Amino acid sequence: MNDLLKLGKFNFKSRLLIGTGKFSDVGTMLKAVRSSGTQLVTVALRRFNREQKSDDLFGPLSKLKQIKLIPNTSGAMNAKEAVRAARLGRDLSGSPFVKLEIHPNPHHLMPDPIETYEAARVLAKEGFIVLPYMPADPVLAKRLEDVGCAAVMPLGSAIGSGHGLATREMLRLIIENSNVPVIVDAGLRSPSEAAAAMEMGCDAVLINSALAAAENPEKMASAFALAVKAGRQARIAGLMPKSDVALASSPLTSFLSGRGKK
Amino acid sequence: MCIFSLRDKKMKTNNPDWLDPKKWLQVCSESTDADVKTAISSSSPGIREFAVLMSSAASASLEQMAQRAQILTRRHFGRTISLYVPLYLSNFCSGGCVYCGFASDRKQRRRKLGESELKAELKALKQKGFEDVLLLTGERTPAADFKYLLNSVKMAADVFHNITIEAFAMTSDEYKKLVHAGCNGMTVYQETYDPGLYSKLHRWGEKKDFFFRLEAPSRALEAGMRTIGIGALLGLNEPRADVICLFQHALHLKKKFWKAGISISFPRICAQSGDYEPAYEVDDRLLAQMIFAFRICFPDMPLVLSTRERAEFRDGIAGVGISRMSAASRTTVGGYHHEAGLSEKGQFDVNDTRDVKTFCSAMRKKGLEPVFKNWESVFRDRP
Repeated sequence: MNDLLKLGKFNFKSRLLIGTGKFSDVGTMLKAVRSSGTQLVTVALRRFNREQKSDDLFGPLSKLKQIKLIPNTSGAMNAKEAVRAARLGRDLSGSPFVKLEIHPNPHHLMPDPIETYEAARVLAKEGFIVLPYMPADPVLAKRLEDVGCAAVMPLGSAIGSGHGLATREMLRLIIENSNVPVIVDAGLRSPSEAAAAMEMGCDAVLINSALAAAENPEKMASAFALAVKAGRQARIAGLMPKSDVALASSPLTSFLSGRGKK
Repeated sequence: MCIFSLRDKKMKTNNPDWLDPKKWLQVCSESTDADVKTAISSSSPGIREFAVLMSSAASASLEQMAQRAQILTRRHFGRTISLYVPLYLSNFCSGGCVYCGFASDRKQRRRKLGESELKAELKALKQKGFEDVLLLTGERTPAADFKYLLNSVKMAADVFHNITIEAFAMTSDEYKKLVHAGCNGMTVYQETYDPGLYSKLHRWGEKKDFFFRLEAPSRALEAGMRTIGIGALLGLNEPRADVICLFQHALHLKKKFWKAGISISFPRICAQSGDYEPAYEVDDRLLAQMIFAFRICFPDMPLVLSTRERAEFRDGIAGVGISRMSAASRTTVGGYHHEAGLSEKGQFDVNDTRDVKTFCSAMRKKGLEPVFKNWESVFRDRP
């Protein structure tokens, strides 16, 4: 079966994207990336260190041939800053992708819908493959699709919270109406939540804290890889319909099909 | 926008209502073991839970508080520790802080970095790998005035990604100029939140104005600074009263300035060249309790610890509440490019004297990645 995730002109077999912050060291992060089988890894521009190799996340990741790097604009507080960061990220990495992250409040890190929309519009016009991190808002998702984003990345719950798919109902509406891939970004804690996201029709998930904060990030990455595959297969296989009521063996309406029907 | 009403300003010896610690000190003194258990596991802790966690009853649950603090720190900051380094520009000072080694009546060799010396300092810090530099000066003097600080910020911003300052309280216009020059944040400790005591401890000068200092973070944020650091100099006042006020100050700023990055520091008064004896003792257990209480109630706020503290304490609490630390610090002027040469006293004694490599290696042993660069100069209006 040729089931591929399509982002811009690129196709990917893996539907698991990995974030690279918060790990205890670069070696552990690289092991998690490898064991996840991911083909898409995001790294914050603010963690590119052109002058000190031991503090640089970009250098070691750029050596992994099997992955495409997605610079992200985390740290930007508005559209202008994000656009500048995206351009610098492209210059430094050569990647056409950008994960657009604009969170003006550095504490809860919720994405700013207004600034994200504006930056997405500018960057898509400039030819970036724009992947915007966004609140789980079905209207915003369509607006971002309209301005040329290659996917939408609604949050499951707050970054690093581990609260899972708290936005489930909004995600459902986004998925039902989207013409671009829907990638759940942020908040997932366990592989079962990733599987649930895929079962409900998400096209991919992005995981970071759940790996970095796990006791064994490498093993957890492989567990997420399995869960994402299982969830995707289940989605394709078609889940049995859900019903809140049991189907009675003696239907109450059988009298309606009787002989006396007019 | 002024965060205080005129009425507050007139009441020079009283704190504004929102800062008044009385009610919460009462909660603190009446807390039971059961209250402590509830506060530790609260899903949305606020000032009440903070007061409970600062109680004597809570000191018996320090281990449980530490466990909770570590989980929350790891969740928000991951297994990392963000690093910065202080750079003393000048020890000229017009202030009369009774507890400070740089106060204007202390016998102290006064000096400031000239342009070439500053360049040498910046170069020395760059070579050590730092990208996040805190520039410090004393209270405003003709020798080290605003213009001098502004020029120093410009020079430092050409070299490093993140520049913040810790200096005299300024006007909004001055903060705006600093932002434009590349300054990203500002630290100002209120020292003590008791206005009466504050007035006694600050004997003369601009710093004597409690409210001008209290309002400084608001002016800086209005001027466009992204981050502000606040703290109380622990040991000047009854520590529980000051940290309850500190908590309320943070809460107040958080609500007023929704984009503000607010961090809390925990400076404990330590030996310096004056003859001031701290009025209150803040021992290691109480300091740790404060840090854990802040972490539990503010899970996503950077909590900062400097090299004032001993290596053992810093290693123990890194990642268990504390998310940001200075390293390899000198508190003397010119201390980085003259490492071996200077014998003068700094503003305070550095207790963790480890070099960068040794400190980082200790962090890695604890499973924490030291992060030198965690911001990008491209975010500035003028990169």
